[in-house]
Formats: sequence, C-alpha cells, structure tokens
Amino acid sequence: MSHLLDRLNFLKTLRKDTFADGHGQTTIENRDWEEVYRNRWRHDKIVRSTHGVNCTGSCSWKIYVKSGIVTWETQQTDYPRTRPDLPNHEPRGCARGASYSWYLYSANRVKNPLIRGRLMKLWREARKTLEPVAAWKSIQTDPDARKSYTQIRGKGGFVRASWDEVLEIIAAANAHTTREYGPDRVFGFSPIPAMSMVSYAAGARYLSLMGGTCLSFYDWYCDLPPASPQTWGEQTDVPESADWYNSGYLILWGSNVPQTRTPDAHFYTEVRYKGTKSAVICPDYSEAAKFADIWLGAKQGTDAAIGMAFGHVILREYHLDRQAEYFEDYCRKYSDMPMLVRLDEQDGRLVPGRQLRAADFDGGLGQTNNPEWKTVALDEKSGKVVVPNGSIGFRWGEEGNWNLEQKAAGEDVRLKMSLILEQDRDDVAAVDFPWFGGAAANGFVIDERAGGILTRNVPVKRMTLADGTEALVATVFDLMCANYSLDRGLGGENVTNDYDADVPFTPAWAEKITGVRRDKIIQVAREFATNAEKTNGRSMVIIGAGMNHWYNMDMNYRAVINMLVMCGCVGQSGGGWSHYVGQEKLRPQTGWLPLAFGLDWSKPPRQMNGTSAWYAHTDQWRYETLGAEELLSPTAPAGDWKDLNLIDYNIRAERMGWLPSAPQLKQNPLDVARAAKDAGVPVAQYVAERLKSGELQMSCEDPDAPENWPRNLFVWRSNILGSSGKGHEYFLSHLLGTLHGVQAEDLVTEGRQKPVEAVWHDRAPEGKLDLLVTLDFRMSTTAVYSDIVLPTASWYEKDDLNTSDMHPFIHPLQAAVDPAYESKTDWEIFKAIAKRFSEVAPEVLGVEQDVVAVPMQHDTPGELSQPFVADWKRGECDLIPGKTAPNYIAVERDYAAIYKKFTSVGPLLEKTGNGGKGIDWETAHEVDLLRALNGEVVEDGVSQGQPKLDTAIDAAEMILMLAPETNGEVAVKAWEALSKHTGREHAHLALPKEDEKIRFRDIAAQPRKIITSPTWSGIESEHVSYNAGWTNVHELIPWRTVTGRQQLYQDHEWMRAFGEGFVTWRPPVDMKTTGHVATRALKAGEKHVKLNFLTPHQKWGIHSTYSDVLTLLTLNRGGPVVWISEIDAKTAGVVDNDWVEVFNANGALVARAVVSQRIKAGSMFMYHAQEKIVNVPGSQLTGRRGGIHNSVTRTVVKPTHMIGGYAQLAYGFNYYGTVGSNRDEFVILRRMDQVDWLDDPAGEGGAFQTPGPIVSHDNPRKEA
Amino acid sequence: MRTFKAISLLLSYPSEDLQQAMPAIREVLADEGLVAGGALDALTGRLEQADIYAAQEEYVLLFDRSRSLSLNLFEHLHGESRDRGSAMVDLLEMYREGGLDLDGTELPDHLPVLLEYLSTRPLDEACGILADAGHIIAALHERLTRRDSDYAAALGVLAALAETTVETAEAQAILTQPDDNPEDLEALDAAWEETAVTFGPDPNGGCSLKRDLLGKIDLARLESIRAHEAKSAAAKTPNPASAAR
Repeated sequence: MSHLLDRLNFLKTLRKDTFADGHGQTTIENRDWEEVYRNRWRHDKIVRSTHGVNCTGSCSWKIYVKSGIVTWETQQTDYPRTRPDLPNHEPRGCARGASYSWYLYSANRVKNPLIRGRLMKLWREARKTLEPVAAWKSIQTDPDARKSYTQIRGKGGFVRASWDEVLEIIAAANAHTTREYGPDRVFGFSPIPAMSMVSYAAGARYLSLMGGTCLSFYDWYCDLPPASPQTWGEQTDVPESADWYNSGYLILWGSNVPQTRTPDAHFYTEVRYKGTKSAVICPDYSEAAKFADIWLGAKQGTDAAIGMAFGHVILREYHLDRQAEYFEDYCRKYSDMPMLVRLDEQDGRLVPGRQLRAADFDGGLGQTNNPEWKTVALDEKSGKVVVPNGSIGFRWGEEGNWNLEQKAAGEDVRLKMSLILEQDRDDVAAVDFPWFGGAAANGFVIDERAGGILTRNVPVKRMTLADGTEALVATVFDLMCANYSLDRGLGGENVTNDYDADVPFTPAWAEKITGVRRDKIIQVAREFATNAEKTNGRSMVIIGAGMNHWYNMDMNYRAVINMLVMCGCVGQSGGGWSHYVGQEKLRPQTGWLPLAFGLDWSKPPRQMNGTSAWYAHTDQWRYETLGAEELLSPTAPAGDWKDLNLIDYNIRAERMGWLPSAPQLKQNPLDVARAAKDAGVPVAQYVAERLKSGELQMSCEDPDAPENWPRNLFVWRSNILGSSGKGHEYFLSHLLGTLHGVQAEDLVTEGRQKPVEAVWHDRAPEGKLDLLVTLDFRMSTTAVYSDIVLPTASWYEKDDLNTSDMHPFIHPLQAAVDPAYESKTDWEIFKAIAKRFSEVAPEVLGVEQDVVAVPMQHDTPGELSQPFVADWKRGECDLIPGKTAPNYIAVERDYAAIYKKFTSVGPLLEKTGNGGKGIDWETAHEVDLLRALNGEVVEDGVSQGQPKLDTAIDAAEMILMLAPETNGEVAVKAWEALSKHTGREHAHLALPKEDEKIRFRDIAAQPRKIITSPTWSGIESEHVSYNAGWTNVHELIPWRTVTGRQQLYQDHEWMRAFGEGFVTWRPPVDMKTTGHVATRALKAGEKHVKLNFLTPHQKWGIHSTYSDVLTLLTLNRGGPVVWISEIDAKTAGVVDNDWVEVFNANGALVARAVVSQRIKAGSMFMYHAQEKIVNVPGSQLTGRRGGIHNSVTRTVVKPTHMIGGYAQLAYGFNYYGTVGSNRDEFVILRRMDQVDWLDDPAGEGGAFQTPGPIVSHDNPRKEA
Repeated sequence: MRTFKAISLLLSYPSEDLQQAMPAIREVLADEGLVAGGALDALTGRLEQADIYAAQEEYVLLFDRSRSLSLNLFEHLHGESRDRGSAMVDLLEMYREGGLDLDGTELPDHLPVLLEYLSTRPLDEACGILADAGHIIAALHERLTRRDSDYAAALGVLAALAETTVETAEAQAILTQPDDNPEDLEALDAAWEETAVTFGPDPNGGCSLKRDLLGKIDLARLESIRAHEAKSAAAKTPNPASAAR
C-alpha cells in the first residue's frame, strides 16, 4: 500500500519526537499544569531598590511587582565590572535583607497615624474653643492634663487619627514651643543618612528651616572612632571592601566580617587564595576566627596592650636595630614624627609639652600668617629649624604652601627624625610618661608601677625661644620610642631591649595583660611589618566595634594606627585601616548638605552632638560614677581638674565654644534677637555682654530647669529607645516620665562630689518631653513609647539614594509600589508638616530673628581659634564670640514661609556657592540646571523663580547635581578650589569624567561608580581600589591636622592632662554598677557571676535596628539570648537555655543563656538591639518586663572628646565630640527561678510567686 | 446580601458615622435574616453606646496591634513569607473579575474588604468564597471569644455562614499559635516566643523552619505554659485570658 497520500512532499513537520541526539523528547499531552508555576513567577515590572537600613551592605535588589503588589525579589547582578584580576562585587545581599522586605505586608506594620487616646481627647476638647497653638498651650499649662498622657507612655492606649489632625497637633506643638521657649527646644533624631539620604534630609530640612536642633548619631552610636579625627582630621575614611583583595596581610581586629559584613566577605575569602595571610584578634572564637591563619584570643578590652606590643616589636626591628628604608621615608614625609616637641618643666621634672610652633621662635621664623599654628622640625640639609609646608597654619589666610612637598620656605628639606646620634643631641633628659596600668579593676590585670609614672631617657636639643627662655626639645619620634619603652643605649629605667622583660609594652608584658602568648605577638608583628616592607604598605587592619565601644577606644585605635603608620600602610592600596562601624559614608555629601540642613536658605543650622545632649537631658550625669581623678594623668599640668565632674567638663567645653549646645540659652533666642534689635546692638555683641553680666545664661549650666528641657522630639528612621539608647531606663524615667527600672541613686545621695558648673536640683525632673513623634513602618520599641506614631513608607515604597563605604557605587531606593495603607514617605510627611506648620505658626509667630550659637568648626578658619585653653567665665580671657566662646549669629525665620522654602532650592547657593571640608566653589550653573530639570516655582512668594523641590526625586536630583561625586563638572571645580590651598594641580583626577552627570534615572538603570572628589581621600580609578589617605600620600594633600601630617602626638592641654599625648595602655574603666545597689537583690548564698557585658552585632536582625522578624529569630532561640562560657555557667548554676536575669545598678534584662565554649570566661555577649517587644518576660528585680541590652548601660563621656577650636580637634557634626561607649560595663547574672510573662493585667499586684525584692511600680529606687 | 456589608462595617474602625449608622445596620441584619436573631446585638449595642475613644483604643489594640487577631487574612496563612504577595494578587484579580477594584488604602486580604466584595455577589457564591477562608475566620472567632470580646460574635456569624467550625484541622493549626495581646507589651511577647532548639532524638526539637510550622509542633511550650498557669491558678484567681489557653 502506498503511503504517498500520507507523506509530505513539499513540507516538513516542525514537530520532532526527539532532539539533542535523543536525549530530549517532545510530548503532546496537556501542559496546562505548567501555568501554576508560570503564574507563581509572573510580574508586571521589576524595580530596583534596596533595604534602607543602618547597614553598610548597601545592596541593590530587584523587586518584582504584579498588580501593584510586591510578589518577590532577587539580588541585582548588574554592578559595573571591576578591572581584570579583581573579583566582581556580586552577589550582594544577604538573608537578613531578604527576610526584612516582608515588613511591607506585615501585620506589625503601622497602618494609620496613631495618637494616645487621652491626648486626642484633650486636644479635641481644647480645639472646640481654641485656635491650634492656644489649644496645645492649654494642655501644656495644665499639669494634670499633661501628665495624664506622658506617664502612660509605653502602655498602649492608641487611637487612629487622620493625617490632618495629627499634622495640626504637631504643627501647634512646634509653634508653641518656638514661641514659648525657642525653636532650639524642638529636637530631631535620625541616624545614618547614607542609607536613605532624602528621607534623612526631609526631617533635617524641616527642622533646620524652622530653627530646630538636629542631633548627631555616629558619635552617639559610638561608631565614630575619635582616633580618626585626632590623627587625620577626618571623621572616618576607609578602603572599600574590594581593596581587601589587594592586601598582602590582613588583621581582623574586633571585627567579625563573615557575620556582620556578609555581602563583602567574599573578598576576604578570595584574597586568601592569592596567599594572603590573615590574623584574627578577638576574645571569642568568632566566625572570623575560623578564617584565621593565626587567632589571638586576647582578653576583651585589652587590645591596646597587644597593639603596644606590636608597636614595640616593629619599632625595635624595623626602625631602630635596622631602618627599613620605605618605612623611614614614609614616616618622615607623612607623619609628625620629625616634628619638635618642647619638654615642659613641672615640679622639677620634665614632661612632653606642646609641639613647637614658628611663633615660639624669634621673628616667628619669618612666618607672619598664623605662626602659632605652624609646627617646626630640624632640617638635615641645613641643620636649621625650619617650618615645613603643610601644617594647618598654611591652610588658612594664605595660598599655595599647604601641601606635603618636602619643602620649607620654598627650599627642599629633609626632616630629621631623631636626635639619637651624639652629634645631633645636646643632652639626654629624663622625661615622665603617665602609667595607668595600676588602675585596673573588675578582674583586669593590675600592673602597678611606682607613682604611676614611667621616666625614660630621651635625646634632646637646647633651643633659645623668642621669649628668651631656653627650652629642651625632642622629636616626636624619639619621644615615641621612649614611650614604647625601647632601650636606645641612653640608659635609665623603664626601657628594654629584651622582649621577655617585665617592662610595659614588651611582648612578655602584653602576654600578662592579654593572655596571648608572646611568641604569637612577635610573629604577627613581624609578618605584618615584613609584608608591608616588601609590598610598600599592603598590610591592612580591618577593625570593628569590638575595639571602638570601649571608654578608652582611643588607645585601642591609636595603637593600631601607630602600627600602620610605622609600616607605611595608610594611603597605600591594600593597606591601612578599615573601620567598618556604622555606615558613615554619604558619598555625595556636599550635594546633600544644603538639602538636609537648608543651607540653600539660611546658615548656620542648629546641630548638636547627640551624646552630650542625651547625657544631660536624660539626666544620666546625675548618676555619674566615674570621677575625673580616675582619668587624670599624674603628669597633668596644674589646674582644678579633679574638682570637676564629667558634666562640668562638658559645660566648660560648651562655654568655650568647643562643643555645641542645645538648647543654647536659657532665654528664648527669638526674644534675645528682638531685644538686641531694640537695643540697636549686633546680636553677637549683645549676647556676649549679657552672658558676662549674667543676664543671659547658657542652658547647659542647668539642664534640669524647665526652660532648658527639650520639649518636642522627632524620631525617624531610628529605633533610639530599642537600640542605641544607652541608659535606656534613664530615658524612660527623666525624658519620658514613665515607668522605668533605674536602680541607682544619684551622686549626691551616694555621697559623691557635687558638680561645680552644673546647677543641682534635689529632685530630678521626670517627663521633660511635651511631645514625642516617631515615624516608622512598624511598632518599634520607640513607637510604643511615642505620643504620635506616623506610618511611613518602607523601602520599596519610596524614592531615595543609597551609598556605603564598602563599595564605590551609588544606587537608589525606588517606589515599586505606593506606600501601603495610610503611610507616606518621610519626604512627604515632613513636607506636610512644613505645610501645616506654615499655616498654623502665624497664630503666634511672624518673621522672627533667631540667634544661633555655633561652636568653632573644623575645616573653617575657626579651627585655629584657640592655641591655648582659656575660659572667659573664670576670667582667663575676654568673651569674644567665635574666638573664646561660641559665635552668635542672627538668622531670619519667616515662619509662614517654611513650606515654600522646604519645597524649593533657595537662593543662597547662587549667592555664596557650595563646598565642604574647607573648600568652596561657585555653583550657580548647577542651580540653573536644576531649574531646567525640576522646573521652577511660579507661585508668588519667597520661592518664586527658584528650582522646585517637590518630590523626593527632585530632592535626589539636587543632591546629584550639586555633588562632585555625581557631577564631573563640579568635581573639576572642587579639585581646582583645593589647588588654591595646596598650590598643586589635582584636577587631572576628575577631568576624564568632567562631562559625566549622574541622574536619578541613570542609577535606576544601573548602580554607578562615583567620581573622584576632594571630599574624600581615596580615588576611583582603573588602577587602584578606593583606599583612604591615597590622595594625601600620592597627591601630597595634607591631612587636616595641626602638623598636616598623621598626628601621632596629641599636644592639646586636655590631652596631656588626661595622659593621652601618646598612646598608652589604659585598662577598662570601673563603672561601679555591680556594687551594693545591685547586689542587694541577691539572696544570701544565691549563685551568681559577675561578667563584662559586650554587645556585638548579630546574625538574626538587620544590623542594629531590626530584630523582630520571626523567620530569622527561629534560626536562633526566638527571643533575647546572652552567651556565656561554660566556666561561668557552672559558677552561676546555669545550664544552656535557662532563663537568666542580667542586672546592675542601671537596670535589668532577661534572656535565655547560650552556654558556649566560644565565649571567654569573664565576659558575656548580648547581641545588639534585641527587641523588648518580642518574647521578653518580667524581671524579678524590677517587677517589670525585662529591658533591652541598653537597660544595663549608662552613657559616660570623656573630656578629651570635648576639645575644640584646635585644628583637627574642633567640632563638626558627627565628626568630633563625646561618644556613647558601653563595653566597660559589668553585670551580675543569675538563673531565674521563676519565669513570669506578666500576662496579668497591670495593677493586680506582684506577679511573682517566689519571695524576692519586688519593687513598687512607681519608684523602684526609693523602696528597693 | 447587605448582611456582609453590615458585618464589614462592624469590623471597620469605629467612628461616629458608624455609631449613627447602627440602627440601619440592625435593620439590614433583621431584614435579611441571615444572622440568627440577636447574635450581634451585644456588639452593635456596645459600639453604638461606647465612648468613641474607648472603642477606638480597643479596636487599635485588637486589630491593629495584635498580630494574632489581624484582619488581614493572609497574615494567618502566609505571615511574612513571600507567598503572600502572589496570594494577594489572586484575590485582587477575583475582585476585578467581579467588576470591582480596590479603592483606598487597605490591602485586598483585609476582611472588611472581602466582606464588602461578598455583599455584591450572590449568596451561594459569597458563602463559598467565605468557606475558603473558613478556618481563619473560625480561629479568629475562637481567639476573640477567649478574650470575651463582643467582636467574637461577628466572626461567629461569618463562621456559621461559611459552615465551618473551629474543629477543622486547618483552624486548629492556626490556633496552636499562641495569642498575643500588645497592651502594656504583655502577652505579645509570649505569643512570639519560639521553641528552644534542642538536639537529639526528640521529634519536637530541631531547627524549626518558620513560625506556622513551629506553631503546630510547639507542644513543649504549651505544656510549660499550662504548668505555669496551673501554678498561678493555685495561687490566685485565674486570669481568664491565660487560663483559656
């Protein structure tokens, strides 16, 4: 039979039964079932966004949206490629980021504006008859009404409110506070702008325009390492993580990269395949320790001791017994080691004094401009004292010599490092160095040395100074070698050339203090230095919070920095310090500053250092246990140092214009300005005269007076009460006035010394805040304590910008979907507040004059204002605003026009230009471009004709347009501006990118690498990765310090007084919180253990902010845990997973115990920021729900962090100032014999069945 | 049927408008006769009479802040898992097929939204859709009953319409998750407590994957709570909320 009819002649079938050599087979059955999977992955669009949380990860994500609902997300993989031989950045993003996205639809989401029902009722009642401001005033002036809602903070009772109504309440509260007390009583706290710059800027812009106070955060979080401004005049600048891959030797020190820097850890893994060795220094056997070739398990808090021993070995073997040529050359050019120091005579003994200045010599060595700010050195070529280029005196008032060329007065010089040779020195002098090792407590090794002084011999020269006196002079290098106890054949005590000697800073000594074997210390020091010598500085230290959160963090950090400088590592690719604590790097900073602080409309903004503000206003100073005498050096210059409490130092610092103040004056600044105008006197002069006469007072002198309380507080993008609030219970008690668990008595009750500068009230105020407003998308601990909670957009619901120090890219957050429920973006919320405020304020406010107090700022000529310390109030000098005291500057505030200003780019940029870090450029062209891009305002009023700033994208464009990092044209201008100071050409770093302008839509398409700018000290290039200090070393741009070099000797009077001229070993301080107040809670014979309380970052929350996602918590124990060693567990009778109570005089917390060999005996880990709202039972001690990790901490401030008006030691927002350290704290841990979930309604009496120290709910201190 | 609309309103945030609409709501309920006589009297009566602030505070506490009482149905099915997004898309498309689209700020899985949609559908279809969510409704009903909340009645009516009871396995699965009550940060914490990780042959130990899975197997915790409550009960008058657990 023929198949002709069945066969195709002209066509062939497309269908194949098999393919791929028979490995594939086609089928014809129904495949509809596949639709299920297709539908599962369907989407309408993909939007690029990120998780705008306080995390350095800064990872770009793809968000998939279907029908206006986010359906899933994946990591982006389109970062620009790196150069050949360098791994790419991808994939970035970790499990934590992925899990937190689902906040978007969480039942935990704040859906509507919420307000305390009681406050709402009071408000509506008052509003029936009164205008808004009058209504708010009526509530505030009725103590019972006020108390009715303040004292129930944290105890529920919220009702929903309409946006209109809450906005009006907020506006009225702000207006009333401004009229009654002054705008500086309106505080705002929001951290880490780099994670969502526009959202930060929204609140800061509103506050700055109306005169409110923005509080700093980087210092408060104790993420700021003050050693960085001290040494480099730079807040923090670090290598990107890709530069780890260029390193030849990596020390991880107190940093747990695999756990806390997940998206970057691959560079650390990869570089080991190149043969790079890694040492890890941390007390616990951490995730990072598993990567180590050598692990140094030093006792917690003894890092400086190891660092000093490293320095001892490196100096001995690479600088003294043999001079490594690269090291010596580097130190001569880039450190202050050759600079001359005068030795001061005190009671017949010698101590290191100030670095000599040109002004100390006859005729100022020919220097007429700032001779008191130009340091001097000996020139090997001429044998004369010279004034080398680059010191800070060259930065201001002249042009062209502020550079690191090896020149002085136009001549080539070679600076002498040491006077050790007999022909170079006139004599050998015995010089005293302070010793603190005997002051150890709480189980740290006590190492007493006679008199607390180590006298060592130093080669010196005699010099005749301008005033005719003969001075003994030494180089920083020689003093440093003496300080490190190195025997140089000069005889005398306290030095050695034997590593096994029991002399401070030898490896044997360090073994005693730290518990790390001496041979390991020697090995790591040698490997580190040898690698650096062979590679020109490619040795790196990755350093983390574990080092920085100690009271004596500066000693830890400076010991490390010294090592890096000795080995020429800073500013070299693959070398230097990598401090990754907090996300400090807002790359397009100079574009963002005008937006955030309203600098396009008025200057200066009100900024306050957060730590000092919280210390004063939460009254933690009233409980201070640390006395100045415990901190003071035995070599301190004469002075009333010991008579002062720590708050007194802060007050003096504010008075001398070193630190900012908030509030500033006890009197309303609007009234002060009006009075000055009436009197026809300039504001600064008016204030100065009346401060001297006592008619005006600074607020800092009496923080408890009602006029000086902060009245309104905005918290956004932050969970201050749940995470960063050191002294949590003090916040609850004094700032909020609600239930708290403070156990301690104040310092007068305890019989300690009363403050001399601060007014003492016998009864401390409770409930200073009139109104606490929190913007959040979840009910965080802070939201729970707020009066008003505003629902804000989450990360996939807003447009914003994001950068990090870990990579050089800028990328966006974008609104993949509209904000859910009633929420709005931070930008829209503050815009709405500004609008309502502008409508409400005219009830009591018009066009007002304000007086803003500003401290002497770093990177301005003001940083040269105080070569010597003098306090006008004690008659040591006259009060000269801006010189011996804060400057007082008049600022006009048109309160009805705040909204118009908020929503447009102001005219000041065109008039006065833009700039940052000491350089300025004109920027009218960029403002014009913004006009074209954003459109201009057509409505009448102050903003007519100005570029619009309506949407968050408009705001982002303002940042991108103005910043050199994202606008090549501006970068070229900025480099040219810097060239004027340095006299060198730098524009070549940006010229290839001059025509590049990064727009918001560009970064929406793909992350973009930023453009090299003088704001930062690293460069973006095809040849090196971003590394801090690169332009200092390779472009010869000075560091912004006294000497212009890396400043290893700190010569300010307060530095010397507190014994920190040179780095040394200081044991952790004794916070005295486990004494009788705490132990009275223990039953006779009750098992317990006293432990050092450490709070590293965790795996189960995002960085430090969020730890309430159940998906992650299930990977751990579900709720709060503390980690303890097997040994301590045995002592306390605790087995794994027991409930334990952890307490001291500051408060109590409750957690499960994780008993692990990982932990070093004597210490305890509680991962940072575990939430009080998840799984926390009651504390036996306080009778209340166990606290957060900060329930057992209290802020303590340090005088050396208050210094100002002194080159690099001058105030800058988040740059310098007191920091909130917390790792010196000790706690008592005991097993809980009764776990109570406090499930009974409040008020039914004690919840415990076992007898115990149950404390009254109202005031635990009085009845305990 | 407008009964669904009426219950949608009763489960919405209380307002003065709602209070004034109460007679009309009662009328609809009575006219349509879907609800057993008087079942919702206590709720409508109290909502009508209550101080509006008290009613609102209670509503925020129950439905905005107590995760275990969330009126967003998928919270109880999907929690914070990524399945939630596509589940909501399905729901949204059902509304669109019915000729309606979301307006306002609530998500599609909000119970009052669903009820409003059901009010536009034939009764059989409405009950069928409701039956799909029956186990969640039954569980919410049970939880509100334990709290002695008048709102329980509204959920009870819905459960009856869905012809479901709390005895179904699905409802029991939801109910094994502990209740929460965020007032004074109290039972919220207990509700979020997770089982201890134990190693060894214990079938209830090991690393749990997610909360809902965990809730089903968390017998050890329930036992410990019961033991604790038994002790508390011996010491003083039992607390109805915790004793019911």
